[in-house]
Amino acid sequence: MRVVKTGIAGTLESSDVMITVSENTSKGIEIELQSIVEKQFGKQIRRVINEKMEELGIKDATISVNDKGALDCTIGARLEAASYRAAGISHVRWEEK
Amino acid sequence: MEKLRRTMLYVPGNNAGMVKDAHIYRSDSVMFDLEDSVSINEKDSARLLIFNALRTLDYEGIETVVRINGLDTPFGLDDIKAMVRARPDIIRIPKADSADDIKEVEAIIEAEEKLAGLESGSIKLMAAIEGPLGVINAYSIATASKRLVGIALGAEDYVTNMKTKRYADGMEILFARSQIVTAARAAGIYALDTVYSDINNEEGFINEVKLIKQLGFDGKSVISPRQITPVHRIYTPEQKEIDFALRVIEAIHEAEEHGSGVISLDGKMVDKPIVDRAERVLAMAKASGIMVHEDDI
Amino acid sequence: MEEVILDLRSISLKSKKDLNKLRHFLHERDLDLDTDIDYAIVLEEDDKIIASGAMSGPVLKCIAVSKSFEGEGLIGKIVTYLLLNAHHHGVNHLFLYTNPKNIQIFTELGFHEIIRVDETAVLMENRNHGLPDYLKKLSESKVPGNEIASIVMNCNPFTNGHRYLIEQAASENDHVHVFILDENLSQFPTDVRIRLVEEGTADLKNVTIHHSGNYIISAATFPSYFLKESKKIIDAHGRLDLQLFCRFIAPALGITSRYAGEEPYCVVTSRYNELMEEILPSSGIKLYIIKRKENGKDVISASMVRELLKIDDFKKIKKIVPPATFKYLESKEAEPIIRKIKG
Repeated sequence: MRVVKTGIAGTLESSDVMITVSENTSKGIEIELQSIVEKQFGKQIRRVINEKMEELGIKDATISVNDKGALDCTIGARLEAASYRAAGISHVRWEEK
Repeated sequence: MEKLRRTMLYVPGNNAGMVKDAHIYRSDSVMFDLEDSVSINEKDSARLLIFNALRTLDYEGIETVVRINGLDTPFGLDDIKAMVRARPDIIRIPKADSADDIKEVEAIIEAEEKLAGLESGSIKLMAAIEGPLGVINAYSIATASKRLVGIALGAEDYVTNMKTKRYADGMEILFARSQIVTAARAAGIYALDTVYSDINNEEGFINEVKLIKQLGFDGKSVISPRQITPVHRIYTPEQKEIDFALRVIEAIHEAEEHGSGVISLDGKMVDKPIVDRAERVLAMAKASGIMVHEDDI
Repeated sequence: MEEVILDLRSISLKSKKDLNKLRHFLHERDLDLDTDIDYAIVLEEDDKIIASGAMSGPVLKCIAVSKSFEGEGLIGKIVTYLLLNAHHHGVNHLFLYTNPKNIQIFTELGFHEIIRVDETAVLMENRNHGLPDYLKKLSESKVPGNEIASIVMNCNPFTNGHRYLIEQAASENDHVHVFILDENLSQFPTDVRIRLVEEGTADLKNVTIHHSGNYIISAATFPSYFLKESKKIIDAHGRLDLQLFCRFIAPALGITSRYAGEEPYCVVTSRYNELMEEILPSSGIKLYIIKRKENGKDVISASMVRELLKIDDFKKIKKIVPPATFKYLESKEAEPIIRKIKG
């Protein structure tokens, strides 16, 4: 999957996360993280993001994350939704999950 | 033993906080909604959220239900594909008007289960009846599929279709309620009542729950955790009922011990409906936290 | 099915009742209901508004929450909704003005400070380094020289009057940077306006034409340019815009002066010119307000061209616009726009 525009998903409410996936002018995955639990979980959040991007096959992207204490599965879901929106693809391939 | 479905907590499918905590309120079931509570632009996001939640989180044995969008929308098919793989206990079909609505969804679920290598029939179905045609077809809907475990009334859309509105005494939906619970009983499945939206009106809510219990409903959809305890309390059997139920169970044991084919209590025959009710009463009593004297059985 | 928690709904901008209700709610919090909003939402309980938010293009406005509901994440709800709504309309780079005491709240919601003015207003955006990225790109156009001029214009459309101003600056300076306003609130679309300026100045070798971007008299930095606001608001916005210009944009290009046309008609523009006189020199930027070119007795202006278009006086138009502009106005491409101008 390739990022062709900006995709945003999630909310700023408690236990959720708002994620913006946009094109990266340089190569690789660039993560901008703002989290209410940055100290304890910052590393884990970044790991979840990198794993999901690998799963989705996205190599270059800027990911802006505003986390309000979301669980890993929530981060994964919001990131995937934002990524599909950023790639302009409307149907997830559920058969591959 | 039958599953208790006194309360089904309605959880908006795009609300991450409520989705992750849905089980802590201890309703009998939780229903993750992908339909009316999720805006059109967020359907894709909510679907992924519920998919991930069901695959990852432990809902501690509470029954999980997902209300999908209808197949007549651009979202229904993707909902089914996703949810078959997410494995909730039940998929709830909105706005069922006829048996065909059920069969259509079942066919797709069947196909997707095959594709995903899942055991056929592993996901159950529920249907919401929200219009006059559905009410008329309640029995054929209730018997449309072996997977269908219950039917529910969706009163908001129903009264709109009926060109009336909701009133406190519920007369405008009396026929619909009666038809649905009757159809459910005839088909041997569950009947669930509609939501009560005024969460600040405790008295009104309690009156409605008492009414639907009287009509024979198995339970009610609730939209706020605050509504759960009142329903469970009203569905708590009285001591008299519990005592009788215990005696029924004792009579069954006695009959088994004596190798008798007929179970009798107080000179009367105890047949299946009475046995079922006894089991149900004891299950509800246990669920309400009442000490049921196990050693009496 | 009904919303489980609270009623969040968008209000109809055509409904006087809804607008008055919102206006009243905002007044109670010392806020105004801006006239240029194109989308507004409210959170209600029992039919009373307890939180609100609105948008005007990429700018978030009218965000307020009732005192008794503070601390419950309602602003987060409102901002989320506005952000997602804008996103679904393809707008992702958002701005907002607020009082400095609210910076913390909006920082938590993903906004970053661009610039602050007088402890009364701060401009924020939802990008981590929106302004720095813009400045980096802008400085790629930096040209060496001691005297570097700048002009900010709308050019709706490009006239001989505009050309005259650019010529003046080009003759007196090593280089001129001309910024054409990006907002598509003018009759002539942005890409057409810029194209006409480029064609109309192709012969001038020391002129660079730029899109103004989001940080120069844009709807974000100076909304009242596009509205008829009170003097107080014009001043606050004008100062913010000029601070941005002096502190960030001018240094990126090594700008030493700014040229502007005298403004006899528009209240907002003439007040803005006054503010420039006050602010620019103290930042080391020379200000030159040039008398506008005339055609006979009349000052040549874009509005004059639009008035002449209404009456199809192409003879007079030809006298006051450069050839490229005239060619465009006579072309098929311009027909729908001219029709709209005629009303």
